[in-house]
Amino acid sequence: MTAILPNNQAGVSRALDLLSAENTRLVSIFGSTDDNHVRYVHYLIEVDGREYRMLSSPVTGPIPSATPIVPAAAWYERELHDQYGIECEGHPDPRPLLFHENWPENVHPMIDDASHVPWAKGQYHFLRVHGDGVCEVPVGPIHAGIIEPGHFRFSVVGDTVLHLELRHFYTHKGTEKLFENSAVMDGVMIAESVSGDNCFSHAVAYCQAIENVFAIPVPPRAQAIRLVGLELERMLAHIADVGALCGDVGFMVPAAYTARIKETLLQASARFFGTRFWRGISVPGGVTRDLSGAEAGEFGRIVTTAARDFAQMARLILHTSSVQNRFESTGILTAEIAKQLAVVGPAARASGIRLDVRRDHPSGRYRDVQVDVPQYKHGDVLARARIRIDETAISTQLINETLKELPAGSVLVPVPLSGSADALSAVESPRGELLYWVRIRDGKITRCHIKSPSFQNWPALPLAMPGNIIADFPLINKSFNLSYSGCDR
Amino acid sequence: MIGDAVERSLRSPQVLISVDELFSNAAGSRMPDVRPDLLTDEVARRVVAACPTSALKIDEDAGRTHLILNYGECTGCGRCIAAGGGTFRYAEKVTRCGVSKQALIRSWDIQGRAEVVQDEPALSQAAEQIRALVGRALNIRQVDAGSCNGCEAEIVALTNPYYDLERFGIHFVASPKHADMLLVTGPVTRNMAAALKNAYDAVPSPKLVVAVGACGCSGGIFGRSHAVVGPVDAVIPVDGYIPGCPPTPRMLLTGIVQVLRPFSLRW
Repeated sequence: MTAILPNNQAGVSRALDLLSAENTRLVSIFGSTDDNHVRYVHYLIEVDGREYRMLSSPVTGPIPSATPIVPAAAWYERELHDQYGIECEGHPDPRPLLFHENWPENVHPMIDDASHVPWAKGQYHFLRVHGDGVCEVPVGPIHAGIIEPGHFRFSVVGDTVLHLELRHFYTHKGTEKLFENSAVMDGVMIAESVSGDNCFSHAVAYCQAIENVFAIPVPPRAQAIRLVGLELERMLAHIADVGALCGDVGFMVPAAYTARIKETLLQASARFFGTRFWRGISVPGGVTRDLSGAEAGEFGRIVTTAARDFAQMARLILHTSSVQNRFESTGILTAEIAKQLAVVGPAARASGIRLDVRRDHPSGRYRDVQVDVPQYKHGDVLARARIRIDETAISTQLINETLKELPAGSVLVPVPLSGSADALSAVESPRGELLYWVRIRDGKITRCHIKSPSFQNWPALPLAMPGNIIADFPLINKSFNLSYSGCDR
Repeated sequence: MIGDAVERSLRSPQVLISVDELFSNAAGSRMPDVRPDLLTDEVARRVVAACPTSALKIDEDAGRTHLILNYGECTGCGRCIAAGGGTFRYAEKVTRCGVSKQALIRSWDIQGRAEVVQDEPALSQAAEQIRALVGRALNIRQVDAGSCNGCEAEIVALTNPYYDLERFGIHFVASPKHADMLLVTGPVTRNMAAALKNAYDAVPSPKLVVAVGACGCSGGIFGRSHAVVGPVDAVIPVDGYIPGCPPTPRMLLTGIVQVLRPFSLRW
């Protein structure tokens, strides 16, 4: 990972030039301020699928929008405006993103005092679809199941969806601002609460960024335990998702069975690590829990049993004709749209785009292991289910290989509590590429930007809907399984 | 193939956790507990300094020093356990679930090396009405008012074959209009405050509200954010609080039942 900082106005046009090139992918756009309250815009771009490059520029007035060149920039630039008041000229949709009608127009919390923001009464305009027989179906923010809040506005003719518009950020908690002025060690707790079901990925990404700032040599044993946690989190997510997909097509036996398999892994985590979701395990400098040889063996056996049960269940699911009927050719995300929106994670791999941070930008223990990256080309619900099934098996193998050869030594080294630097860290979370960019000044966090895979992938969901029936929406939505809180932050 | 699945399910051993093992069991919750016999002034000051939230405090009153632990603000980070030597440990039992906000707080007299025992205040006066309503069929509408989805993951786990909430006659329902209880997670965000209020208004009376998780109880680590209104009770009245980050399924079940306890003769 390299970061190039030209620090001049030409930064924006250089970034836009780079984004026009075929061999680049937009990773993130975000803002920051320096000690003199000068605003900066940062473009994080992947080049040739192997290198992260950052281009930054001070901002004094409006900047040209990248969205006409790369549609994937749309939400980033809207967020940039909401947080920093930076105008992106030529943006096709400059509506507020993070803030709803209750937020006054001219308060930008990253540069303004946001301690007592008055309540406003604005208006939000959804895109209207006109024509004979077109109906609007509003859904949410509170949904029927035990899930997070968000709003979906369907325009339908009969059962067929013509257009879906998302309105999210109901769980926006100003998380990036909360990091500011936090002590380095306290940041982990905030990172763990960005997206609860991926809390370990967030914790590791944050910790690695801090370790990059201070060039801390994390003990190999700690890196191995982190790999086990990351892969276990992927297994939990994928097993639960495949079960939930079955639930959404009314196939309740596998739904209950996968929930049971998932619970065995959560209970094993509680037994060996004292926490069901691996909270509090990763800290800057390593991990807080170690495993004895016997514990590692027992943990590995539980993971293997869970994976074997899941594999049998998955075979059953894939060979059931009613499941095939509902999964196949439903909610197709084409490779072309996925590329334009810079989609990441299982959704990208199911649409023929083979991206995986573990292989492309390995860190920690991943530098020493070979990670298979499965890929399907149809981009439908079935492809996304298959990706999850395949990756569960791959994660099991990685966990077992790692547990068999846990390096000797300590699991935690002390972290200096002073110093100043910027650093980046990337992790393949269960939902895809997750990045933390942190800026530390005198041992305090002055800026932390989170590139969340859900923020990246949500805009792709509406483009997989047209032509499908509205009753398939829960299934299609689940097949992407994006985090609302991870997106809204 | 569906036949195979059903057959497999019928053949598989039962994993249901017995009622005795469920209630108050703190396994995996990361909630701290104190050994009062080892508590000293020095340990108390050390753990308070280590606590990154304000869950641990020292209260000095009329010459007596008390250590205060508010489970409603505790995220289970474990720093007090690391800093407290053997005085702090992970709790084996959590009984402070589904209780009043005041009852989430425990306090120890440091000089006397003993816990200050408080009476649990009554939760509501509408006992007769709610007993008639709930019986053994409680309908819960879960509302995420801004959570990180950690609490949702554990609430979903309540329906798995280990905990099987339905065995108690407790169901999750799709509409607040079908609900007896709102189970609310998250710090209430500015963007969810109106929706939460609407959902509360839509639940027919008499109704119960349970605030879930450190964020739901106290606002948690998000309490000071510009985008957050505060804990659940900043927006709607709350009858019981379940702490934890996230609370385990056992804590959730303990809490839900605890909230009902004053209203029902069956428990």
